[in-house]
Amino acid sequence: MASNSKPATRKAAIVGGNRIPFARSNSTYAQASNQDMLTATLDGLVARFGLQGKEVGEVVAGAVLKHARDFNLTRESVLGSKLAPSTPAYDVQQACGTGLEAAILVANKIALGQIESGIAGGVDTTSDAPLAVSDDLRRVLISLNNAKSVQDRLKAIARIRPGMIAPEIPRNSEPRTGLAMGEHAQLTAHEWEIGREEQDELTVRSHSNMAAAYDQGFFDDLVTPFLGLSRDQNLRPDSSLEKLAKLKPVFDKALPEGAEATMTAGNSTPLTDGASAVLLASDEWAAEQGLPVLAHLVDAQTAAVDYVHGGEGLLMAPVYAVPRMLARNGLSLQDFDFYEIHEAFASTVLATMKAWEDPAYCKEKLGLDAPLGSIDRSKLNVHGSSLAAGHPFAATGGRIVASLAKTLHQAGPGKRGLISICAAGGQGVVAILES
Amino acid sequence: MAAEDVTVLESPPNMAALFARAALTARGRSGDLPGTRLARRGVTVDAGNLAGYARVCGFPLGDTLPPTYPHMLAFPLQMALMSDRAFPLALPGLVHVRNTIDVVRPIGAGESLDLEVWAERFASHRSGATVDLCASVSAGGAEVWRSRSTYLARGAKAPAGAPEADVTVAVGDLERSVATWRIPDDAGRRYAAVSGDVNPIHLSGLTAKAFGFKRAIAHGMWVKARVLGALANRLPESFAVDVGFRKPLFLPSTVTLATAQAGGGWDAAVRNAKSGTEHLVGTIRPL
Repeated sequence: MASNSKPATRKAAIVGGNRIPFARSNSTYAQASNQDMLTATLDGLVARFGLQGKEVGEVVAGAVLKHARDFNLTRESVLGSKLAPSTPAYDVQQACGTGLEAAILVANKIALGQIESGIAGGVDTTSDAPLAVSDDLRRVLISLNNAKSVQDRLKAIARIRPGMIAPEIPRNSEPRTGLAMGEHAQLTAHEWEIGREEQDELTVRSHSNMAAAYDQGFFDDLVTPFLGLSRDQNLRPDSSLEKLAKLKPVFDKALPEGAEATMTAGNSTPLTDGASAVLLASDEWAAEQGLPVLAHLVDAQTAAVDYVHGGEGLLMAPVYAVPRMLARNGLSLQDFDFYEIHEAFASTVLATMKAWEDPAYCKEKLGLDAPLGSIDRSKLNVHGSSLAAGHPFAATGGRIVASLAKTLHQAGPGKRGLISICAAGGQGVVAILES
Repeated sequence: MAAEDVTVLESPPNMAALFARAALTARGRSGDLPGTRLARRGVTVDAGNLAGYARVCGFPLGDTLPPTYPHMLAFPLQMALMSDRAFPLALPGLVHVRNTIDVVRPIGAGESLDLEVWAERFASHRSGATVDLCASVSAGGAEVWRSRSTYLARGAKAPAGAPEADVTVAVGDLERSVATWRIPDDAGRRYAAVSGDVNPIHLSGLTAKAFGFKRAIAHGMWVKARVLGALANRLPESFAVDVGFRKPLFLPSTVTLATAQAGGGWDAAVRNAKSGTEHLVGTIRPL
């Protein structure tokens, strides 16, 4: 259960962030491993904040698609980085919520005084993805490995069938429903009557906001070029409603007969490779190091929904998480200067906002007396989000935390921002930042 | 060296053809070192080859070239020099005994590089003669990297009045091994695939036997690269790495890496895990 009051603790400061530009799958970063990208990203952060040879309290990061050999991915990346080798590290994984969850974990240890500084990050590659042998073949190979006699070995080998040889390729689908995430999102879009045009409009705004932010130099101290790439490869500054309108809908398999498919490759995030990292600290540590404090992580919340049997949409968990966090902090949905709602799909952002505006849904599903109400769209994803940048699953949280912290810092003291990230498995991770 | 001695090549020479030429023209070589320098201008690194090299040698893939990578660019030119009929020593049978690299500054993977290679220091050695194959890599007119590979030709004779060979690399006590590497029997083929160094002694037991080795042996420059890969994030910005290649590393093998901080850099050794036979000793010092 979520607690109703907050214990007296200090708030963790966000000092800054670093990420590599995000690349489209099987493109510029096709040869780069998760460890290569995370190490490069950590080293960029080290260079930016003068952490060469220094020990930070903890490095927490993760990847959604991970090779078995990468069981200690974050620690291995730290050992390959310019950070002191005495820096502890561990891996986390909460699907697309990984990056934000990592930041929350680091912030909580700072809040409790267990560490003074920490780095939260995430990385994903869909190019250098792990392939697994089929489950049947895996069982045969294990018994072959355990076989003591030649006879046992031959018996094990005899169980191999040609059909077992094909490798299993990781799929972006839910194990319990067999549906791709996009197919789930399309069901939700249909249910909430999210039209094609409003999805395309949100997409165009994401691209134009991010292109403008790059042009203004907003990302100069947030992004370090990698392997020749200096901007997100998916970014289309010239994206337009006309161009997006030409794209064919995808993800229509699960829709009921006659329902209109509205989601396209344009208003959905593409498979992407990339990494991000955020430096968090106590105010005292930041001051000692002569480093800035952009914002503080004030509070965070996770939620999950029963998208399998319960009739809720796969990506609707943040809708539940936000009101719980708002109540605990005595805030309304309108008490924010900036909103960062992760654009897994344009329809996800639109369905999230529509749900918060819906009195019946807010009462029945969220147990609220009144709807949370609407969001001023001019405060939403002001420097672009995942539709433009792309979405290397675990790297998205770090991208958003660093960008929002900088946005709040630029806006001046006392500004407040809300982060909402949906994740596979029907989960959501949300947080409040304040400058 | 006079400018007219420099031959500029438009593309890297074909290494397999050079090995064949060197083997066919091995007999009857003599005389002094040619004064020829071979060069290439405006060379850019192929991203795919760099990624393959990094993977095979254990370097992280990033925007800075591994310290041994420029050797990939210079070695084909050195091969062309050594396989030429004017070169006094027969290439088959030359043993790489020492390699020194100076990383003047880190080199970006996207930089345009100028290479120049030459041979010098024909020297006498107790079991033959040695020669140094040198390389200099520049960017924007300034030298960023240089190397010196010393090869021993057993039974060969250096010209009268030649200096004594200098093949000694001294390291401090290296008792503590920090890593064990299981080196598979295809290590030579894997490195050959990314480096183009298809010297038969590295490729298979059969081809190695033809040249007098009981099994295939690992490329010395690969072992050196692995040592630097293991220390990649702990190297000075600008450094000299000097290694001596001792006994051949037969494939497959299990070896240990020993390292110790020394002189602002490192001492390192690679030894057979069981017998302790030394394959490589080296020093890394800030420039």
